[in-house]
Amino acid sequence: MAPVELPVEKWTGKIKEVKLGGNGRKSMVIGGETTLPFLKFEGVLPNKPVIAVEVQDAPPKDWPQALVSAYGDALKDPGEWAKKALSFGAEIIYLRLKSAHPEEGNTGAAEAKKAVAKVLEAVDVPVIVIGPEVPEKDNEVLVAASEVGKGQRLALGNCVEKNHRTIAATCIADGHVAIAKTPIEINLAKQLNILLCDVGLAADSIIMDPTTGSLGYGLEYTYSVMERLRIAGLMGDGMPSMPMLCDVGEESWRQKESRVTTGVPETWGDPAERAINWEIITAISLLNSGANIITLRHPKTIEFLKNSIAQLTQAG
Amino acid sequence: MALTGIEIYKFLPKTNCKKCNFPTCLAFAMKVAQKTVDVSVCPDLSPESKAALEAAGRPPIRLVTIGPDAKKVEVGNETVLFRHEKTFFHPPALMVRIKDNEPLESIEKTVAEVSSYSVERVGIDMAPNGFAIDNLSKDAGTFAKVAASVAGKSELPLVLMSTDPAAMEAALEKVGGNRPLIYGANAENWEKMAQLAAKYKCALAVIGKDGLDSLSELTEKITKAGVEDLVLAPNTANLSDSINTLTQLRRLAFKKAFKPLGYPVITFPGAASKSVEEEAILAAQQIGKYAGIIVLDHFTPALFYPLLTLRLNIYTDPQKHIQVTSAIYPIGSPKETSPVCVTTNFSLTYFSVAGELESSGFPAWLLVCDTEGLSVLTAWAAGKFDAERIAKAVKTLNLAEKISHQKIILPGKVAVLRGELEDELKGWDIMIGPPEAMDIGSYLKQMWKN
Amino acid sequence: MSRYITSSAIRGAHGVVEQAEKLYKETLKALGPDKEVAFPNTTYYLPVIYTLTGHKVQKIADLAKPLELAKSLLAPVPDEHLWVPYLGEALDAGAATLFAEEIIEGIRFAKGEQPEAKNGFKFNGPIDDVQMRAWGIQMVDGRMPGFAAVIGAAKNNEIAVKIVRELQSKGQLVFFSGTTNGISIVDQLLESGVDLGYDTFTVPFGSDTISTVYGLGYASRAAVSFGGVTPGDFRKILLYNKFRCFAFALVLGPIDDLKWATGAGAINYGFPAICDTVVPNVLPTGITKYEHVVSMPFDDIPGKDDMERAERLVQRCIEVRGIKIKVAKVKIPVAFGPAFEGEVVRRDNLRIEFGGKGGMCFELLRMKDKDEVEDGKITLVGPDIKTFDVGAKVPLAIIVDVAGRKMQEDFEPVLERQFHHFTNNAEGFQHQGQRDITWIRIHKNAVDKGFKLSDIGEIIRTCLVNDFGAIVDKVQVTLYTEPEKVKELIEKARVIYNERNVRIAGLTDDAVDTFYSCSLCQSFAPNHICVINPERVGLCGAYNWLDCRASFEIKPSGPNQPVAKGQIVDAEKGEWAGVNKFAYEHSNMAIDRFTLYSVMDAPMTTCGCCECIMVVIPEANGFMIVSRDDYGMTPSGMAFTSMMSTAGGGQQTPGMMGHGKYFLLSKRFISAEGGLKRVVWMSKNLKEELGEELKEACANIGEPDLIDKIADGTVATTVEELLPYLEEKKHPALTMDPVM
Repeated sequence: MAPVELPVEKWTGKIKEVKLGGNGRKSMVIGGETTLPFLKFEGVLPNKPVIAVEVQDAPPKDWPQALVSAYGDALKDPGEWAKKALSFGAEIIYLRLKSAHPEEGNTGAAEAKKAVAKVLEAVDVPVIVIGPEVPEKDNEVLVAASEVGKGQRLALGNCVEKNHRTIAATCIADGHVAIAKTPIEINLAKQLNILLCDVGLAADSIIMDPTTGSLGYGLEYTYSVMERLRIAGLMGDGMPSMPMLCDVGEESWRQKESRVTTGVPETWGDPAERAINWEIITAISLLNSGANIITLRHPKTIEFLKNSIAQLTQAG
Repeated sequence: MALTGIEIYKFLPKTNCKKCNFPTCLAFAMKVAQKTVDVSVCPDLSPESKAALEAAGRPPIRLVTIGPDAKKVEVGNETVLFRHEKTFFHPPALMVRIKDNEPLESIEKTVAEVSSYSVERVGIDMAPNGFAIDNLSKDAGTFAKVAASVAGKSELPLVLMSTDPAAMEAALEKVGGNRPLIYGANAENWEKMAQLAAKYKCALAVIGKDGLDSLSELTEKITKAGVEDLVLAPNTANLSDSINTLTQLRRLAFKKAFKPLGYPVITFPGAASKSVEEEAILAAQQIGKYAGIIVLDHFTPALFYPLLTLRLNIYTDPQKHIQVTSAIYPIGSPKETSPVCVTTNFSLTYFSVAGELESSGFPAWLLVCDTEGLSVLTAWAAGKFDAERIAKAVKTLNLAEKISHQKIILPGKVAVLRGELEDELKGWDIMIGPPEAMDIGSYLKQMWKN
Repeated sequence: MSRYITSSAIRGAHGVVEQAEKLYKETLKALGPDKEVAFPNTTYYLPVIYTLTGHKVQKIADLAKPLELAKSLLAPVPDEHLWVPYLGEALDAGAATLFAEEIIEGIRFAKGEQPEAKNGFKFNGPIDDVQMRAWGIQMVDGRMPGFAAVIGAAKNNEIAVKIVRELQSKGQLVFFSGTTNGISIVDQLLESGVDLGYDTFTVPFGSDTISTVYGLGYASRAAVSFGGVTPGDFRKILLYNKFRCFAFALVLGPIDDLKWATGAGAINYGFPAICDTVVPNVLPTGITKYEHVVSMPFDDIPGKDDMERAERLVQRCIEVRGIKIKVAKVKIPVAFGPAFEGEVVRRDNLRIEFGGKGGMCFELLRMKDKDEVEDGKITLVGPDIKTFDVGAKVPLAIIVDVAGRKMQEDFEPVLERQFHHFTNNAEGFQHQGQRDITWIRIHKNAVDKGFKLSDIGEIIRTCLVNDFGAIVDKVQVTLYTEPEKVKELIEKARVIYNERNVRIAGLTDDAVDTFYSCSLCQSFAPNHICVINPERVGLCGAYNWLDCRASFEIKPSGPNQPVAKGQIVDAEKGEWAGVNKFAYEHSNMAIDRFTLYSVMDAPMTTCGCCECIMVVIPEANGFMIVSRDDYGMTPSGMAFTSMMSTAGGGQQTPGMMGHGKYFLLSKRFISAEGGLKRVVWMSKNLKEELGEELKEACANIGEPDLIDKIADGTVATTVEELLPYLEEKKHPALTMDPVM
């Protein structure tokens, strides 16, 4: 009996490799795959997906108890928080400058520099710095963050169409990577990459954030847009072939299912268990649709997902 | 290459006889091309046409049905590798494994819990789909007894798990009329199992953990023996084996029309997992990547609610706009003085607005208009989110009874509706909110003074 | 390039290179080869030399190499009468000049003579790296449109101040260097009490022309820092500056050889020079984006006084360099924003109205030559709102003249249609209709707040420049309220509208070689791609070929991309190799053929938003068309929604196709299958909506009664009812070639 002949796609494209860190900081490369997620029979996955753990520049006001108790006092200081995240298994620190938001304290460049410096000082893994997601404020604090981390190849975001020129300029000037975030839509993602390249940012200095919908809150849209972006990239279109980041932590922990412990149907089950399942299921689904970096929050999730990634990427 | 509607039409009798329940042969042909109806529904097809069409139209993955009609599960008959290409049609059945060597009491308790479990999300009730009874006792009598007991307590479909044909026959004697899935046939027992499947008209799972070569060899033998409704049980023990094997199977079906492996797949994510979380991760992957029946070792609401939600998400038709019910949704615990935001019933729109309201800290009412599942701008452009519809929603949903003011906040993108809406809703103050949901929080802080 | 300028530049280059060589030799002797040479606070050495050649100057001895290079770039000084110099030689001379100038400044630093101090004022010298980075980010992200190097001195102090203020108001970073008759503009500004320095975006480099090189050093460093260009890759440095650094030189006063030589150096970077004296104009050749050298003798600039002349001079600079300046806010006395778009001005609150029933109001946008348009000029001819009674209905003409280097006559209607959207954003302002059926109502409160007719012009001008800056450079608006004048103008406008109609009708698929795509719907229908040709509107009805072309000009990376038709494959079916290739590449390889005139063979895919769907009725040997707003059953056995679920979502479904309403009126309407004559049934509302136009289209194909022969839902909703009707009416489809 003849062996079954497996259909193997001949992809002509390759996901771009993006380097983070370096210059004294641990460095890593993400991307580089020549096939769809984890299909070892078909192509190579030279760099495994990595887990970024979120740190904020001020103690979070809205985190549920499950998270607050996991991090404890470390939440009071971004540096300590980053160390704690590292001890949980973080491969990247995802620093969110939340207090720069006009309604969260409206802090400026000076505070941003301080927070970034603390994290850079505390840990030696690559760092992603995210602004408050108000484009004007992002420009202010990310340009400041950029200077502090000059040469250490941070990733700065979110770079959206409205402020892409500023973020691109500062990334070019200081040798960083831009996190290009677009509303869940393939052509918008592609367009922003084109715009960034037009400004002069190198194509290997862009990571796409296609906007994460968590389980039950638009996951399917993100899932499919990511699959489409990945396929388009593998088919040889250079513009959507950047690695992708999904902000799983923020999106899954802001949902009712992860936060509310009382007054919800009994059929939702145990709150603590449910919240963790919400995060891990969102995470694994988006890894399977092409995420190269996922952000996570709960230490248990980090541990499980790390094992899963190891399983998915082990040789043989 | 699938036939187009016009090509199928050419094979039809062109009598518009309506016996297929379509008004015209063309309408029927178009639906056959979409694979939403089978060509055999046409009673007047010539044998030659039938043969030609069936050969062209055979689903690459066979549709397999298990369980009694009332609660039956249909799996297989998928047509695409990625949901964005069209949609995934038959959601995987989520089942719970019952060990027949456990005390009957505890088995019955689990069966009762699972059968009565149902959880609602966006107006859709989601529930587990059945039980897989595992003959761990290795005893035919016990196996049959437990199967009978489970079937007596629940109408949900069953999978009978034993490789001992005698045990299987004993169980089938009790519950064979319920169309259980026989799990299953292997290289040693396949002839006997195939006979049982034929006798009881049940689908048969084919177990082949040593790769697809031997698995396809086995299915070919079984189909030659006359059993066509098969389910594959390849090696899917860990995340890597599962995604690689199941992708290969689906590719073989679509890209090579490889018949011997064109069947749905059953998986057991708990089998090699060390924790319930690991099981959840593998099950979640298998929901997205190509399982037909997923048998879980654990049943807890905290595990099933997210998994059922994931299944709902992945199996949503990406080309149809999923809708939420038109209603006034309380976000937080709104009072009669709380603001009222208006939006459309496109699920993603609803979720973005509801999410932002939730995190804004303002308890509020969210008035969702029926826009046939279109987002704000699209609905507006299509004339499905106009002043008339909004006013109708305000009136029919009795908004005035819930609040003490007369203000509604429109999405900024349809500010253009304000004038007309003022005409439709005399005496109401039509406020214009921000164009993007993410700015709702700041908007309310600025504009809504309690 | 002008022979005069070239000769002058080469002479100037010889002079400055000699000067540099002399200085180098002296300094080598005096300070020795190891004396440090460095600009302060920079890691880019002598930046022009470093970035263009890759050579790092750190000490006196390191200057030998660039000096040799400068010398090697010098062509002989042209003979007065016989020899015609080339552009290339002038540009080389320019480069040599910059090298020599930087060598001189480097030595001056080594000798402690820089930054220059004069009359107690300390010049800035080169810009340090920290400042370069801060400004560079603003230049890359567009907050700072460009920089202006002002060389020489203005006619008087007042004009000097005015020029600088104008440049600042346009967001320009301003550099100063050089003198005119011994006076520098820096002297003029200081005398007038103007603050100079980084904080005010003004940088006084030095008093001589040589210090101009600091500005080019700044541009060079920006290219390396923000363009990711490797030092030494001179070509990329120059291209980066040409395309991304919107700088220019404004040369005040007479120009000597050294200024010409330095100017030639700047032209290498793509920076044009605008001179306020009589010099030969040098028109575009590709080195700069537009003109190289523009002469604008100050006293000849039109304007009521020197202040206005100074303003125009700066305006011209901005135009020549192609700088777009966004206006942050629409300056009108009422609020402006999308929140007011849906406002209705009711009779009770009406202050004044224009047009509407029995009124006369129109709007017209015309493309003009750039010299015919004075940007921002808004004129009202006739009385303003306040002179009319409350509730009066008054005639109004709104005439908008636009000029732009990328403006095309075909964009006139595209831009004109935007007025509706623009003006409705104003609080208390209601706009309906277009062309000569425009109807405007203004709220009492708006007029109380000070709204005047000129504010309409202000809105249109600001929005056009902001939203359509890619094609519009200058806008002027004239409004008329005198009845006689409006009457006269509306007749002229109607002629233009008519010409446009004729032009659009004459715009055929054969007349163009490019179609446009639209990928807006790919979010829901991933494999769907629209190809829009002049004779077929997009299936949503919202985009025609001209709209797509304008949209592409405005946003080249946007959803509307040009599709080169390429080789014709089948003229009858409307199949082109280029369209097929485009469809394949943009449909995730799902579709490999697209015909534009056929439904039966490889028709276009259908997304979710088509206005109509047509489907073959084999029994009737023709097609039926159902419109989106027809919910009833049709003879095909399918209602609109059922057909949508078959063809929609980006499917290619031979025999069935979504399309726009107005496609029916096109000569190319399913011409492969025989055109309109094939239509056997259509939705009643569609028939009514297209009314007269459809009748005309029927008449044009020699079937004036066709519209009555086409069945609709009132006579047939099944094939069984349809066929006898067609027989009775002798519908032409019945006798045509078999459709299948």
